[in-house]
Order: sequence, then C-alpha cells, then structure tokens
Amino acid sequence: MSEGKKNRRDFIKGSAAAGLTALISGTALSKSEVLAADGDNAKKALLMDNSLCIECQACRVACQNENEIDVEYSFIKFISNEVGEYPEVEYQLRRKSCMHCPDAPCIAACPVDALSEGKGQFTVIDAEECIVCGRCQEICPFEVPEMGEERMYKCDACQHLLAEDKEPACVNTCIAYALDFGDYEDMLEKGQERVDELKENHPEANLYTADYSEGEYGLLLILKTAPENLDLV
Amino acid sequence: MKLTRRNLLKKSGQLAGALALSLKGFNFFDWSAEAQEAEIEKAPTLCNTCGTQCGAWAYVKNGRVWKVEGHEEDGRSQGKLCARSHGGLRWVYDSDRIKEPLKRVGEEEFEPISWDQALDEIAEKLQDILHEYGPRTVGFGHYPRSTGTFYGERFMHALGVSTVCTHNTSCNAARNAGFINSMGGVPDADLANSKYVLMIGRNHGGGIRTDQMKKVSKALAGDTKIVCVDPRQNDIAKLADEWLPIVPGTDLALVLAISNYIIEEGLYDEEFVEEHAIGFEDYADNISRISPDWAEQITDIPADKIKEIAEELGGNRPQAIVHPSWGGAFGAVYANSDETARAVSCLNALLGNINQEGGLIFHPTPELGELDSDKHPAPEVPDTRRADGVGVMGEFPLAGDHGLPHYLMEKAKEGTFKSMFIRHHNPVRNFPDYDHMAEGFKSLELSVVFEINMTETAILADYILPECSFMEREEMISAVGGPKASIGMRTEVIPKVYEETKSFDEIIVELAERLDIGEYFNFTLDDLNEALLEPYDISLEEFKEKGSMLVDLEPPIGETDLNTRSGDFEFYSEVYEHAGRSAVVGWQPPAVGMNIEEDEFRFITGKEGFHSHTATANIPSLAQITKDYDTNRLWINSSVAEEMGIEDGDKVKVESSLAAREVRVKVTERIHPGTVFMPSGYGNRTPYYEKSQEIDTLNPNDLVPYRTSNISGHAMRQEALVTLEKV
Ligand code: SF4
Ligand code: SF4
Repeated sequence: MSEGKKNRRDFIKGSAAAGLTALISGTALSKSEVLAADGDNAKKALLMDNSLCIECQACRVACQNENEIDVEYSFIKFISNEVGEYPEVEYQLRRKSCMHCPDAPCIAACPVDALSEGKGQFTVIDAEECIVCGRCQEICPFEVPEMGEERMYKCDACQHLLAEDKEPACVNTCIAYALDFGDYEDMLEKGQERVDELKENHPEANLYTADYSEGEYGLLLILKTAPENLDLV
Repeated sequence: MKLTRRNLLKKSGQLAGALALSLKGFNFFDWSAEAQEAEIEKAPTLCNTCGTQCGAWAYVKNGRVWKVEGHEEDGRSQGKLCARSHGGLRWVYDSDRIKEPLKRVGEEEFEPISWDQALDEIAEKLQDILHEYGPRTVGFGHYPRSTGTFYGERFMHALGVSTVCTHNTSCNAARNAGFINSMGGVPDADLANSKYVLMIGRNHGGGIRTDQMKKVSKALAGDTKIVCVDPRQNDIAKLADEWLPIVPGTDLALVLAISNYIIEEGLYDEEFVEEHAIGFEDYADNISRISPDWAEQITDIPADKIKEIAEELGGNRPQAIVHPSWGGAFGAVYANSDETARAVSCLNALLGNINQEGGLIFHPTPELGELDSDKHPAPEVPDTRRADGVGVMGEFPLAGDHGLPHYLMEKAKEGTFKSMFIRHHNPVRNFPDYDHMAEGFKSLELSVVFEINMTETAILADYILPECSFMEREEMISAVGGPKASIGMRTEVIPKVYEETKSFDEIIVELAERLDIGEYFNFTLDDLNEALLEPYDISLEEFKEKGSMLVDLEPPIGETDLNTRSGDFEFYSEVYEHAGRSAVVGWQPPAVGMNIEEDEFRFITGKEGFHSHTATANIPSLAQITKDYDTNRLWINSSVAEEMGIEDGDKVKVESSLAAREVRVKVTERIHPGTVFMPSGYGNRTPYYEKSQEIDTLNPNDLVPYRTSNISGHAMRQEALVTLEKV
C-alpha cells in the first residue's frame, strides 16, 4: 500500500470516529427541524434499499447524462461482497456515493469554498470554483469525492432538478424501485419500516447511518448486512 | 450570452460565495431552472436500445439530444428507463454511424454511392434473382417491431416472398413454442400478487424488461416467496429468498419431477384438469417414473428440496407460478428447451393458475385500427413455400413464422438461397457459430442491410442502406398489452443528423416504386398512423405530442377458454403427434449429453443489465461500466479454480469443439462447479466499433456450434462443453 493511501486510511478511521462522537452528543432540536421551521430549506434525503438493487447501473448512467459528466467519472458507485461458500453464498451490496453528512467535513476543508450546503441540505460542489486540491477527498469519511483533471466529482442530489421540484435522476429512473426521495423524516420512517421487515430473514439488517448516529445524513442506506461488511464505519 | 448550465453553475458559485448570507430569500436554483427551460425541449419517443421499446421523453438541449426519461403513460417503462437506454442515445452521435449508402467493392471494403444508384442496382439485382430462381430464394430478417414488420412484410409479400424471419430462434422461440402448443400463448406472470414463484433461468435484472422488473421488485419487497433456479446466482437470485444451482440443461428433469410429485401427492387442481384440459392421463402416465430421487442425480438439486418446491407450489396454488421465463433456461438454449417450456406450461396448468390473480394472466393488447383496404389494398400473403423449412414436413413443421436465419445460412452455402434483406438485426454475430453465419451470408448473391451502425452483418453485406436513428424518425404506432396496456409511437425528436440517411419506410417505398409494386404503398406514414389511431378519441397531432397513452383493459380473470386448437389446455398435442414429435412431454437430455469428461465444463451465457446483445459495447458510458467493474470475464467456481491453480483475473484458454479463445476469469462462489458463465455482450467483430475494442473478449457464439432444434427450430445457444487451461 502506498504511503499516501495508508495515511488516508488512518485519517478516515480517525475522522469517522470523531464524527460519531459529535453526532451522539447531538442537540435536542435537529438541524432539519430548525431549518424547516425557517420555512426555507427543508432537509431532504435519498433512501436506497440495497436489498432490492439489481446493480443494473441505470442510476449511474442517468446521473452522468443529467449532470453532463464524462463517462469516466460516476457519482454513483457500488461496493459488493460475497459472503459464505457455494451454494450458501450471499451477495451483499451497497451504493457508494456522497452521504451528504450533517456538518460535512468536506465543506469545512475546502480552501476555496467550492463546497457548500445546497437545496435540501445536500452537500454541493461548485465545479467551476474547485481547484482540484483533493482536500475534500482526504477528509471524507466515506472516500467519496473522485479526483478528475479539472474538478472533483461527487453527487449533489441533482440540485437543478430539486429546484424544479423534481426528484434526482437516479431516483427517477431506478427500474428496481430501490431508490426513494423526500423529506428526511419521511425517508427515515420508510427506511425503518423496511428494515423491520427485513430483520425477519436478515437479523443484521439496518438503516445506515440512522441506526448508528443521530446525525441526519442525506443518503440513507437500507442494508441487509452489518455496515462493516460493506466497507462502512 | 447564451445560458448554458456550465456558466450558470459558475454564476451560482459566485452568488453562493459572495451573497449566500444576505440573499437567503433568493433561490438561485429556482431562477436558473427557469432560465434553462427556455432552451430545453422535450419530445416523446420509444427507446430503441433493446426490444422492449420503452416509452420515453427525449430532452433536447441546444439542438442535441441530452437525456431521456421514462414516459409515465407507457405500459413498459412506466416512467423508468434502464442503463442501456440512457447510454443508447449516444448512438445518435456515434461518429462511426453509416452516413450514406455504401456498396461493397472488396472484402469489407465499401464505397459511398448515391441513393439512386443504390436503389436502382438493388432493384435490378433483386428482379433478376426473383426472375431466375423465384421468390423462394429470397428472405427478410429483422427485429420485429411496428414499422419494420409492416413495411418489410408488405414489401416482401408483394414480391411473392414468404420467408420473413426474426431473431427469435436465438432468443425465446422454444419458450414460445412450448407455451403456445399447450396453453395457446405466453401469459404474463402476476408476480406481485403471487405467494410463491419458481423462476427457472429467468434473470429479470440482466435481460431487463422494465415493466417485468417492477413486478419482480414488488414481489421481492412484498410477501411473495421467490426461488431462483439457475447454475449461476444471477441478478435476481442474489436478492431472492433462495438460489438453487442446477446442472445446465437439466431443468426439464426438475420440472418433470416436481410435476409428477404434485400429481402423485394429489396436490394439483383436479377441477381445472378435468374441466379445462385434454390429455392429462397420457401426460401423467408418461412422466410417472420421474422421481425426485432420479432428478437429484441429474440436476444436483436434492430430492427433498424438489419435494419441498412441489409442496409449496401445490400448497399455494393458484397463487403460485413457475415463471414462463424468456431466454433463460428454455428460451433457445438447449436441445430440450422446447420440451422444458412445455413442461413448465403443463406444471402451471396443474396449479390451475391460468387467468387467476397471482397466477398467469393473458392480458389483452390494445386494439389498433387498419388502413382502408379498398383504398390501400394489401398484397396477398404468398403461398410460396418458405425457404427455411418452417411448416414443411421433413424440415421444421412445428417452427413458427419467426423463421430460421441460421438454417437459411446453410442453404445459402449450398447455393439454394440467394438473397437476404436485413433490418435492425445482426444475425451474423448473434447466432451461434460465427463462421457458419458469416460464410452463409457471404455466399448470398445479393445481401442488403438497413442499419445505422456498421454491425458484423452490415460489414459483410453487398449494400448498406443508412437509416436515420430512432431519435430522427417518426414511426408507426404500436400497442403493448399487459397489466398496464398502452399505445405509443416514436416522433421526430431532432432533425436528421446526417442528410443522406432515410427512415426504413421511406426506403421501402422508394424500392417498391422501382420494383413496380408502388401501388401497395399509396399512403403516407401519417395516413397509416391516422388509421391505426382510429379506435381512439385523439387526433394524430395530439398523439404526437403525447407519444404514449395508457389504455384501460380488463384482465380476463376467471377466463378458461384458451387460444389452443381445442380451446382447452393441451397436455396432449395432436399437432406434435402429427408432426412426428412426442404428443406428451417427457425427459430428453441436452445435446451435449449427461456424461461429460472430468475436465469439461458446461458453458452458459446471459445478459448483463447494462448491455444489449453486442450492440452496446461501443457505447462509451456502458463500456465504462464493464471496465469499472471488470465484468467481461468468464465466471468459474472458486473451489474448482483453486484446484486448477487459477486465480481471479487470470487468463485462461477456453476451448470447445468449435474454437479456442483466451479470456480472463472471475473466480466466484456464485456458480455451479461444473459450469462456466460468460456474459453475452462482448466480442464484436466489426472494426468500426472502436470503443468496444477496449473491452473486447470472447463472445459465446464463438464457441457454440451451429445446431437447430427439431420443434421450434431454435439455435441452442448453450449447447457446448469447454475445457480450460491457464495461460
Ligand atoms: S437503478 Fe436502481 S436497481 Fe439499478 S443499480 Fe441503480 S439503484 Fe440499483
Ligand atoms: S428495457 Fe431499457 S433498453 Fe429496453 S427499451 Fe426499456 S429502457 Fe430501452
């Protein structure tokens, strides 16, 4: 492993742990509630049911078209894993894309303010401002931003579609109906309901990150398996 | 200044930086969205990347097709589109598109010619062939959808040609034959309302049909138990309640054992069998010795599991289904596929699930009008004997009118078949045994391909006629049946990208005039579409704005009359008997047999959800998925690989009776140890697909020999044994 990569790993571990502590000590009134009360920028979330995803990549390509990014880059990736032995093998999968952290560390890290909180409280990157220094990538606990030649690449929940009251392109196209979008609280509730159903056959089922922290992440993942099996902290 | 999204975003950055705090009330994105709207237009179309032809909205920005979205009012897409569709719109701007008529002047060498020259020469040569050898030596092959079927058939019929073929013998011809000849058609599976579904080989996540995928997802998320049988843990098997790996080509043994057990244990629907079926006794008798224990030896599925499946199917009927599948395990894959399909149909009949909620339903298809036959007389359907042996005793009496393109290539090599017109179809690459297909095609005296890309078939043709892409042409209205039925059409989303391209209907009309059959085409596409739209209370102009429209039709729940000869379910087929085939279904091994050498593997293939046959490997966004996830590899079971000293990513030589090829392997627990699997979307042999060369690898049809089933005439795409050697 290269020195740089190793350093980053250690750093992620550290920052993830720090993130968790901060979240557990969360405030009584969540940030989304504050903002909702403000009537301005209500907290939204993407809900991804990984137990239904067929990995068809429709979301990825719809997203590339929608956001007009070069095909070498993708805001949506998948992490997968085979567990067990033939024929008792289980395939596990999750979407890997921006988690839209509360108090996103990347926003604070960006030296030119290219990152900010946008509509729906998603973390938005301004490609034109980005100087490709890679700080956001280094600090991201989920190893999300991807470095291109002229900019960093990561999901912004299709800000321009949200402005038209439309859902993000991935949600709009998912042919397995694995993706949903809406108010944070609604997505949280839906996610929890689905996890309860899944628990019957998959005792490890969980809603990531809601089951692990009080922080409100803009991407909620319904998982059949423990997060550590899918490279999550 | 023109507002592009890029410089809008730039502005937004400045705004956000400088004014974020003070401008809280101002919503930049609302504003920018409005500003953008001015330059974006949307028009309805039908996707053309696979055969499903999903209703879609195409968005045009600055005159270029930018993106597609699913059309909510289309029964297929229901608002959703797959990766292939999002990628497929790149075809429109593929720099290697065919831009003008081409004439072959050497081995894969072409020169551009004018339309007049192309059509004059083709018409003259075709006249000569018809005159000298007769209409029986000419054929048309295509991927059958509205415009191609109507204009292609009408044109051929007017010339006395009866040999019209589709791709079906490399797709689902066996499945269709088995169902049609017992149940009278292929029903729709009401998955979401079913309690128990056995899916044999059908991978809805790879061979995607958007509307079917919706039902599968509902079933997966709901209370339906889904059990997947497949040598490989496919894209649905990995999400389903159970995955049962099976020895490839032995699904028939499994189905017959389940059926016999259900009969023996009295788990079947006696009332349905007595009242609405014929030949039950003969059928039951014929399979009475097929036990779960015997099937275990053949299939590798434990006898107890077979009994459990039988009990769950019987216990949950009629809300239980054995899925009618598609290509999968019995579409056109093994010598016994026709009979596996028939056995699956019979098993469903035992469950009494036909036209029952949660069972199999024959949804009607919306009605379309017709041209006034007085004003626009159609040519008579010719009684010319077909060149491909369809309906001919001694050849393929039971094969449907999907025809046998692979058998035609044998006749072309013999010199008894002279000319083929191919449209939106690539038989040379997509049927087993490339050399057989290519040699046959090259032997033709006149071959004409209507295409937008230089496919493997096109590069061997005498003439290539460039069509405009699906985004640049209007087409005939078509109807799709199903729980959500609809009618839909393609509209001209953008003007022609290349001036010298034409739509298929335009070309056919011009050719028809040169062949003195212009009288059969004395109408415009608008006249035709107006006639088709006649049953509906909407004008063509309005419909072109809408593109797709749902049509409310009652499902025939409780209907027991079937579209068979007898009107009942036919466990016993007089048609098969008359044609010298077995009147009732029974066990038949795959062509490669049951006893194979220790070092041999059964070779299987299948689709990935982001590629459509070999047509999309050249699309950058789809090819990139293959690269990113390294999917163009041969799957091999982990323990077998370990024994052979093969590691993930290693290169092996894979050899069949036909050829040897090198390919990298994917070592996985998700496949039966006696099996290797290769995705079907790679191995282009056209130098014009530059991008595809970056992901080029083995194509299954390089390894599988040419064969033809004696019922539907399908091409047995998985009848091959291979050996592996690390290189
Ligand atoms: S579109 Fe849906 S099913 Fe397909 S990969 Fe994306 S999330 Fe998964
Ligand atoms: S299934 Fe996909 S490729 Fe096929 S028609 Fe529908 S959207 Fe297009």
